Amino acid sequence: MSADPGTVDLLLPAARDVRVDGAPSRRVRAGRAGGPARTGLFLAGVLVLAVSVAAGTRIGAADVGWTDLGRVLGARLGLGTEPLPPLLDSLVWDLRLPRVLMAALVGASLAVCGTVLQAVTRNALADPYLLGVSSGASAGAVIAAVLPLALAGPGAGALGVTGGALVGALLSFGLLLALLRRTGLDSVRIALTGVVVGQLFTALTSLVLMASADADTTRALTHWLLGSMAPARWDAVAVCALVTPLGLAAAWLCANSLDGLAFGADTAASLGIGVRRTRMLLLVVTAVLTSVAVATVGAIGFVGLIVPHGVRLLVGPLHRVLLPHAALAGAVFLVWTDALARVAFAPREIPVGVITALLGVPLFLVVLRRKGEL
Amino acid sequence: MRHRARPGIPLTLALALAAAGCSTATTTEDRASADRPSAAAAIDSCGRQLSFDRPPQRAVALDQTSTETLLELGLQDRMAGTANLKTKIPARYQEAYAKVPVIAPKIATGEQLRSAAPDFVVAGSADLYTKDRAGTREELAAVKVPAFVSAVDCPQQNEAGKSPFELLFSDYEQLGKVFGSEQRAGALAREQRAVVAKAGENAGRAAARDGGQPTVVYLYSVFNGMPYVAGGTGLPGEMSRIVGAKNAFDDVAEDWPEVSWEEVAARDPDFIVIGDLSERGRPGDSAAEKRAAMAGDPVVSRLAAVRENRIIEVPGIELDPSVRSVHTLGLLADAMKDLGYVR
Repeated sequence: MSADPGTVDLLLPAARDVRVDGAPSRRVRAGRAGGPARTGLFLAGVLVLAVSVAAGTRIGAADVGWTDLGRVLGARLGLGTEPLPPLLDSLVWDLRLPRVLMAALVGASLAVCGTVLQAVTRNALADPYLLGVSSGASAGAVIAAVLPLALAGPGAGALGVTGGALVGALLSFGLLLALLRRTGLDSVRIALTGVVVGQLFTALTSLVLMASADADTTRALTHWLLGSMAPARWDAVAVCALVTPLGLAAAWLCANSLDGLAFGADTAASLGIGVRRTRMLLLVVTAVLTSVAVATVGAIGFVGLIVPHGVRLLVGPLHRVLLPHAALAGAVFLVWTDALARVAFAPREIPVGVITALLGVPLFLVVLRRKGEL
Repeated sequence: MRHRARPGIPLTLALALAAAGCSTATTTEDRASADRPSAAAAIDSCGRQLSFDRPPQRAVALDQTSTETLLELGLQDRMAGTANLKTKIPARYQEAYAKVPVIAPKIATGEQLRSAAPDFVVAGSADLYTKDRAGTREELAAVKVPAFVSAVDCPQQNEAGKSPFELLFSDYEQLGKVFGSEQRAGALAREQRAVVAKAGENAGRAAARDGGQPTVVYLYSVFNGMPYVAGGTGLPGEMSRIVGAKNAFDDVAEDWPEVSWEEVAARDPDFIVIGDLSERGRPGDSAAEKRAAMAGDPVVSRLAAVRENRIIEVPGIELDPSVRSVHTLGLLADAMKDLGYVR
């Protein structure tokens, strides 16, 4: 892919806010949009996220009023308000709140991973699970769920799925790296190897399910495999809250390199980007982010694929701008889809992975229609 | 020979109904004694100590078996919810069942459970206490809600060699202690123990045509044309031992493994037990469909048990451990006599 001079200039930080003539106009939009407008959009996004988290905490099997929410927070944070009845307090503090925060963290994490991988592999179909990490996590979770019956007591089952998923995810990523070891990490090879590793672990998952799980275990795992926020607790939120900001910051620091990589290895190299090193770093960052997310809440689809495209249509392709907005959009999107998953078919709760696609597809088509191109 | 299995079933049904009638008669006096105030209790349920300052007033049953057990113990007025109904509640519990709110038609979530404000949670299986379902037992203990798991689903904690029926009876006694209705629970355990003992009278005298132990295949459901049968770990294996038969798939270490029709034919059982799940109503669930599936299979239809109609129909749900299971055990013992396997 040879890049025309106009776009190459765009990639240089100094050229960012300069008007470029002759370059494809849509792509330059972000470059032209003034700094203040961009900051305004970002701040509005932060505000929307904060409101979404607060509103999302109210929605669920039991309606929680603003005053109830205030009382729970006040009592828990030691502000001396009168606490709610213990079970309602536990519902809000132990279940609802960590769940909503987890949705925000995972949504941000997945959207950013998708954005990064779409640039690294130069593939519009790339999503966080392209590297096979989710298949590895599924295999790990399934093995952990089936084996404890034979190996250990009931305690193993509790940590089993999350722990197994994390081990599986990291193992599959280790295998991917081993397979990519002597290669130049070119985009097609990354994508294909990821797909192959993913297929291997998917087959393992099916094998274990068919060979040894009973109907109840299979049903329980299906929920997890589709992606569900229900298992989110404070411990998982703490891990995510530690890892996600670090990962997002690392990705953001690579924003300029990502712009270069999006145009291909040659262009990136000519801009002075260490292509192999940067790709490796970004692969590790996305794999860790995705593994941590998948381990707790399963492979929630769609967020990491479509949110990056939607946000790119809105704010343009420059990663310095794109990444933070994608993170916000992913977080807001997952907070609301999960709230919907809790109440849409009440009293039944459906895995959020089902809702993300059901709701995301039409949303995305609307954006696509308005913008006219990807 | 062909129709001899039939008369046994109504007879046992009548007996079972009579037994149920007896137990309802004791309801009023028992409830009076159950309402004693400040009866503190402590029990050990599947590895956790549960303690109660007073008998629970807002119990939630997380599945059908525990719901039916509590209803059998006459505790409907002290239940704040049920969940996860798999099939119809039998007629004799329906009136009591109607008083209990359904907090979730399927598996209850932690939010749904907490919204019901329970002071005690009962489940037939430990699987229901996971983070993505009702929440772990530790989490519930932290908010002072004791979480009971049936001893039947607690292989690690039980003393070895205790039969599933004994485990069921220990559940009744434990729950009776918690709710302060020991008499009612003790009576239920005694009644059911008597049914088991009666069915066990077959054991010494059971014999197949060739003089060996009669073998049986339990056909639970037919899904996509494939048979699900009772393996070695479920209740049917134990039922077979009690009545002196041998479950032909005892060597498969699963509750309800999916096998092939060929394998069923290879095991060539002396008789076949069909679980009627027509209340569940999915394709292949009714007894008639299972008979048709066997008659339609080129190999299985040639089996002596099928050709001579040595087939016993029982309510499928009773093949899993529950307060209703002894009913099927009785059916099985009587049908074996009718089929001539008991000398």
